[in-house]
Amino acid sequence: MINKNNYETYFMSYIDNELNAVERAAVEAFVLTESKYAEELTLFEKTKLHASSNEFIEMEDKIFLYRFPEMQASLDSDFKKSLYRKEAPVRKIIFTPNLMRASLAIAALLILFIGVQLFKTNTVIKEKASVVSTNISSTNSKQTENTILPSNEVNASLNNNSAVIEISQPVNKKINATDNSVNEPFTASKIDIEKYSSSNLINSNIISSVESQSPSLIKLHEAQIVSNSMETASNEETKNTAVIPATYKEIDTEEEDRTINIGILEIDGAAFRGITRRVSALLKRNKIEKEK
Amino acid sequence: MLIEPSFIHDQLSMTDLEFNTCVDDYSDGVYRFILKISKNKEDARDIVQTAFEKLWVNREKVEALKAKSYLFTVAYHLMIDQLRKESKILMTDSFDENANAITQSSSELKQLLLAAINNLNPTQKSLILLKDYEGYSYQEIGEIMQLSESQVKVYLHRARLILKNKLTHLEKMSA
Repeated sequence: MINKNNYETYFMSYIDNELNAVERAAVEAFVLTESKYAEELTLFEKTKLHASSNEFIEMEDKIFLYRFPEMQASLDSDFKKSLYRKEAPVRKIIFTPNLMRASLAIAALLILFIGVQLFKTNTVIKEKASVVSTNISSTNSKQTENTILPSNEVNASLNNNSAVIEISQPVNKKINATDNSVNEPFTASKIDIEKYSSSNLINSNIISSVESQSPSLIKLHEAQIVSNSMETASNEETKNTAVIPATYKEIDTEEEDRTINIGILEIDGAAFRGITRRVSALLKRNKIEKEK
Repeated sequence: MLIEPSFIHDQLSMTDLEFNTCVDDYSDGVYRFILKISKNKEDARDIVQTAFEKLWVNREKVEALKAKSYLFTVAYHLMIDQLRKESKILMTDSFDENANAITQSSSELKQLLLAAINNLNPTQKSLILLKDYEGYSYQEIGEIMQLSESQVKVYLHRARLILKNKLTHLEKMSA
């Protein structure tokens, strides 16, 4: 029941219309007992908001909230399926700038490697031995001067280190075929290196060992040959010295013009031009494809 | 986080006509309710739009008679989410700033009351608006705001006491 301690709760429920008829009557009777309760109730009633007509707020664009049957119209599923489109496959760009740079770098390295290989091969092939002299001391066979040993004998003599094969100068030096100054101390025959090579008289090991020798070593060999020949001549007067004739071949000096010297590297011009032509053709083709 | 109201029932369907009637009857009320609290027309419009969108999506589950309650519930929670997102407590008009301009005329008293209501927190403000403007019972307000009936009663009474004290203070100042 309403009293001095709980009248506020009753008053608030009263203005909120949460009391039944009996309770409302009780509140109204309580207010009449003292004037201060009437004032209190009036104050509570002032806290109640009353929506007046001039305060009416209407929502704008209410039309967009309405729903119409047309809005629910949907397409036939078969027709919808006919509208589907497959997504075009994404084309991969193969030649990105980085990839292009990398491939060019690889191509350049490849060209350099091929060039070096060609240079080495050409050096071996074109390197001409001016004089190959052998001083073979053979006790069993007596041979006359300027006679070429049979191939098996030469091999045998090479194997037992009694023969000295000498390459006088590098390839790029012109060798005078008639200049016998190197061979003057002993009788040297002309040997065609290529001929020997083709006839397997000089194997590749010997060539490589000769190739690796420096000019100073070659000169040392010359001196050795001279001394050996002189010793042989003095000691064995009666013995016939078999000298393998050396054949001189004139080197094609025009090839020198076709070589390209880059630092210490010597590259065959024709091969290099061929490679550059191929690379330029490849780049041109790539460019055309890119433009397309 | 919006909690689905308990008045969603299966096997009940709202027709287009019923939905449009709901728009006619409740859109202004929901809009007013949100606008009074958020004080932002755009936000209020978006919330109303979303509330009706949800009603349309769930039209087969919501009973037409409970559509109003559903709309208010959805709108209220959307508004709370919005306020949390913006982390703003709307105190547009300070009560004390307007204190000097108080007169005892009814229109000015109403402005004073509105200013005082603006100083309440969103929950208290929502309770006052739902009770006074929309005439919901404690139970209905509890359903909308996910509160128990006793909680609604306590919170609402606390809000009214604050308003009463403010009004008393102003009356003393003007006297």
